[in-house]
Amino acid sequence: MSELSYEQARGELATVVEKLEQGGASLEESLALWERGEKLADICQRFLDGARDRIETARAARDS
Amino acid sequence: MTEPEPKSTPDEPWPVRVVSQKVGAWVARLGWVWVDGQVAQISRRPGTSVVFLTLRDPSADLSLTVTAHRDVLDAGAPELAEGARVTMHAKPEFYPARGSLSLRADEIRQVGLGELLARLEKLKKLLGAEGLFARERKRRLPFLPQRIGLITGRASAAERDVLMNTRRRWPSVEFRTVNVPVQGPTAVPQIIDALKVLDNDDTIDVIVIARGGGSVEDLLPFSDEALCRAVFACRTPVVSAIGHETDAPLLDYVADLRASTPTDAAKRIVPDLGEETQLIEHARRRLDRGVLTLIDREAHRLEAWRSRPALARPETLIDQREAEMGQLRDRATRSLEHRIRRADDDLRHTLARLRALSPKATLERGYAIVQRADGHVVRAAGEVAAGDVLRVRLAEGEVHTEVQEQG
Repeated sequence: MSELSYEQARGELATVVEKLEQGGASLEESLALWERGEKLADICQRFLDGARDRIETARAARDS
Repeated sequence: MTEPEPKSTPDEPWPVRVVSQKVGAWVARLGWVWVDGQVAQISRRPGTSVVFLTLRDPSADLSLTVTAHRDVLDAGAPELAEGARVTMHAKPEFYPARGSLSLRADEIRQVGLGELLARLEKLKKLLGAEGLFARERKRRLPFLPQRIGLITGRASAAERDVLMNTRRRWPSVEFRTVNVPVQGPTAVPQIIDALKVLDNDDTIDVIVIARGGGSVEDLLPFSDEALCRAVFACRTPVVSAIGHETDAPLLDYVADLRASTPTDAAKRIVPDLGEETQLIEHARRRLDRGVLTLIDREAHRLEAWRSRPALARPETLIDQREAEMGQLRDRATRSLEHRIRRADDDLRHTLARLRALSPKATLERGYAIVQRADGHVVRAAGEVAAGDVLRVRLAEGEVHTEVQEQG
């Protein structure tokens, strides 16, 4: 799971949410889908936070 | 007096007088020539009618002594001054006494400025035709030179302008300056030498030839053919910064870059540190902004996905199912009730029918049901015989009787 790229994680998140919203999945599947959606969202968040950190540190290094 | 032509040999060497006589003969064979040169010295020996001149080549470090009768000089070039350009009709003479050689001139003409400029124009066309001014041959200057070669007059304004202005723009720039005379007969040869020295110095990646303003004559060396060819042959790019904006010696055309003045040259050979730092700072800021806007946008999109009900409130899924279940349950109950009601109706209906069919009401109106022992309901007297035991069912209870006689 963790070797997903940001774009892959974001793309899959989009499909998961659409599936959930269309309904039609069993309760069990829906729960599983929801859990996957949360995990994917976390991955994306970590990518973005990471990117921001890298910039902050680079800037700090530059301005110091 | 022609000498026999025996070769001189170690055993039979020629005496000096023979050698100098032969040299004189050889020298005389050149005959009369027209000579172009620049007067470096004039000395009129008092009491003699002979004038001695030193004639220099304008482009090379060579000179010849010229002797002329005072009248020849006064006739052709009165008040001839040092530095003047002259054309002479002369022939070489060898003086055996001292073994010296000089030219004897029988006609001296001073070359006027007009003539000089005409020659310059001709030279310009010639060099142009040869492609020395061709734009595609011009070399690009380095954006930031490692070391700058500067050819200029010693402690001249031009030197100060180039050094000061260049350093103000790029303080850490390095110079290698070669001071040369920037006018007069010795200028060109020395500039050419300086050029060679700097061109061969690999640490130098641009050469500036700078001179302040001056008269047309003063600037003539910078239109000299030999100098132009030397600059053209240079491997290192050459910047010409001669005189004022309006001056355009041939050097301007052949150089890789023409600066209008020494100060202008400074602006053209180094970038301005202040501007460059600002540019970099500006680029850096745009860089940051670009990346950060990208991240913010992605963060917003992620937020949008996250806030979608399917993710933000998963319980909605469950609520939905609960609602569905609730609806199903209601429907189930309703249909059950419905069925019960119907069943109930049926029952009542059947009961009613039962009751309608049932003799109970008739019995209550006083009738009775008579059955034989075998259960057969008696409808006719013939169906029974005397002594039979009959079951008589009344509205309430029943009675057992015996048949006595048939009526």
